[in-house]
Amino acid sequence: MILPAIVGIALFQYYPVIVAAVHSLQSFDPFTNEAVGFTGLDNYSRMFTNEGFQSALRNTVLYVMSSMLIEIPLSLALAVFIDQHLPGTRFVRVSVIATLAASETVAAIVWAQMYNPDQGLFNGLLSVLGVPPQDFLNSGSEALISVVLMSSWKNIGIPTLIFLTGLQAIPRDYYEAAAIDGASGFRQFRSITLPLLRGSGTVVVFMATLQSARIFVPIVLMTQGGPDGATRNLVFYSYEQTFQFNSRGVGSAAAIFMLLFLGVIIAVQFKLLGRRYDS
Amino acid sequence: MTHDPASVDSIENDSSSGHQKTGTLAGADTAPGRLPLAGGDLPWTGRSRRIRPGRILIGCGMTVVGLAFAFPILWMALTAFKSTEAFLSETYPLSWKSFLPSQPTVDNFLSIFRVFGFERNLFNTAIVAAGQIVGSMAVCSLAGYAFALKEFRFRRGLFAFCMIPAFLPAEALIVPLYDVVKSLGLVSTYLGLFLPFICNPFGILLMRQAFREVPRSIFEAADVDGASEARTFLRIGLPGVRPALATLALLQFIWSWSSFFWPLVAMQDPAKQVAQVGMANFATAANTPLYGEVFAAATVLTLPVVALSIVLQRYYVKGMVSSSGR
Repeated sequence: MILPAIVGIALFQYYPVIVAAVHSLQSFDPFTNEAVGFTGLDNYSRMFTNEGFQSALRNTVLYVMSSMLIEIPLSLALAVFIDQHLPGTRFVRVSVIATLAASETVAAIVWAQMYNPDQGLFNGLLSVLGVPPQDFLNSGSEALISVVLMSSWKNIGIPTLIFLTGLQAIPRDYYEAAAIDGASGFRQFRSITLPLLRGSGTVVVFMATLQSARIFVPIVLMTQGGPDGATRNLVFYSYEQTFQFNSRGVGSAAAIFMLLFLGVIIAVQFKLLGRRYDS
Repeated sequence: MTHDPASVDSIENDSSSGHQKTGTLAGADTAPGRLPLAGGDLPWTGRSRRIRPGRILIGCGMTVVGLAFAFPILWMALTAFKSTEAFLSETYPLSWKSFLPSQPTVDNFLSIFRVFGFERNLFNTAIVAAGQIVGSMAVCSLAGYAFALKEFRFRRGLFAFCMIPAFLPAEALIVPLYDVVKSLGLVSTYLGLFLPFICNPFGILLMRQAFREVPRSIFEAADVDGASEARTFLRIGLPGVRPALATLALLQFIWSWSSFFWPLVAMQDPAKQVAQVGMANFATAANTPLYGEVFAAATVLTLPVVALSIVLQRYYVKGMVSSSGR
């Protein structure tokens, strides 16, 4: 009964990892893309000394940290609001679900038009506020955060729904008891809601890490890694090496490095958050 | 008074949303399936009562927040009714014309279907989605059934084997996956577009949880009656997990419908290309992007899925939350 699932997962999930690991130890003919022999860790040492790789690694960390800084507080606030059944919250809930349903491709293409420096909507809105036009995706300093904003918009629904599930698991009489004791709304939030949301928070941190570390389609469609590598992350570096520089060995090495890197981050997070969750 | 068990029951039974109003219930039930997200206006609870004077203000604030999130989708749908020229000249500087079409036209929609044959792309997407949904329902429900109800050697290990790939960044493994699919001779086939994704860790997890929640006594009774394994699975198991199957189908539909990069790599026959790639081609293929066509195609691709996930949000939310590992 489990045989189809096991075979499928072995073939389409694990086997590609093995293929990538083998390729990362081989050198390839740049014209035919055929493996021409094993070179040990040559691809890795070439990769580590490559400036493009170093900036891609830095950018990956930036993507993860800025996404978490935006998504975690925002999704928590959205979940708390939606949970309150205040006027208008159904509309917020429906809007957030709508952002999840839109495809990443559509989101990237539509946002790229809104970001357009010459005829885009955002510069129109900014000019009303008296802010000079910005370059957004064409600017070395603004491009990465512009991609993160678009991606956070697209993905905010998932952490919001996780927090919402966590909130609804908190017994309501905790709040009633706190209210009788005279605890203010903020105090209730700090002393009841936050500690009891630790489990959901842990899941959200994992999800946000995985998701923001692998942002890819928006980069392909919005910036192609540019300007000047400012939005290139590890996934895009691997893609670029393989398809644009015909350097398959290095591309595979980057993919394997990315797996290990993510594994280490998740393990560290698990160690830090998992223990706090137990106590 | 509110803790009277009878009233708790009635809240649970007569409200489809089943909002957990009392502590008694909330403490006992944390299943994600009981989210009060399915709609229905509910009395607000103790926490919000104190801020009643500001309710109008809050209502306005919430509407602004909701609009901010819905805005890109609304703007996309409105812009689809503008010609490319109008889009380029009227969006900036800001006026009402930046948001609303000054001369609404359906030419973009006519163009994508009559000139570019976008319906062909939609047809291809539908075939791939159907394959992915049916395939994953079969594979994941079989595996979930076995993991939930059968005892066999290495069960825990095999389950972990199925779950670990949830942590793999698929985007980084597209190239070796392409090698695998190529060696199976499935490049540029519909099968190659969906086969790799039917054995899905989230789907297996979802189905295992669902089968665990079916009362075991039903299966034991079937066993006593001498029903065959296949019959038990088909006649008793599957009907018992219908909501989870619906959730899985919906999620797989949205994933398949949205997929872009894998079809871009693995489908080299333009006649069989899917709609997301077809839409992106309007933006990238020509020297000057066909903005009108881009927005029309994006709207055609987005609105049905948005409508579907709002109508079926009970299943959608459950799937999204459980597929994140809860």
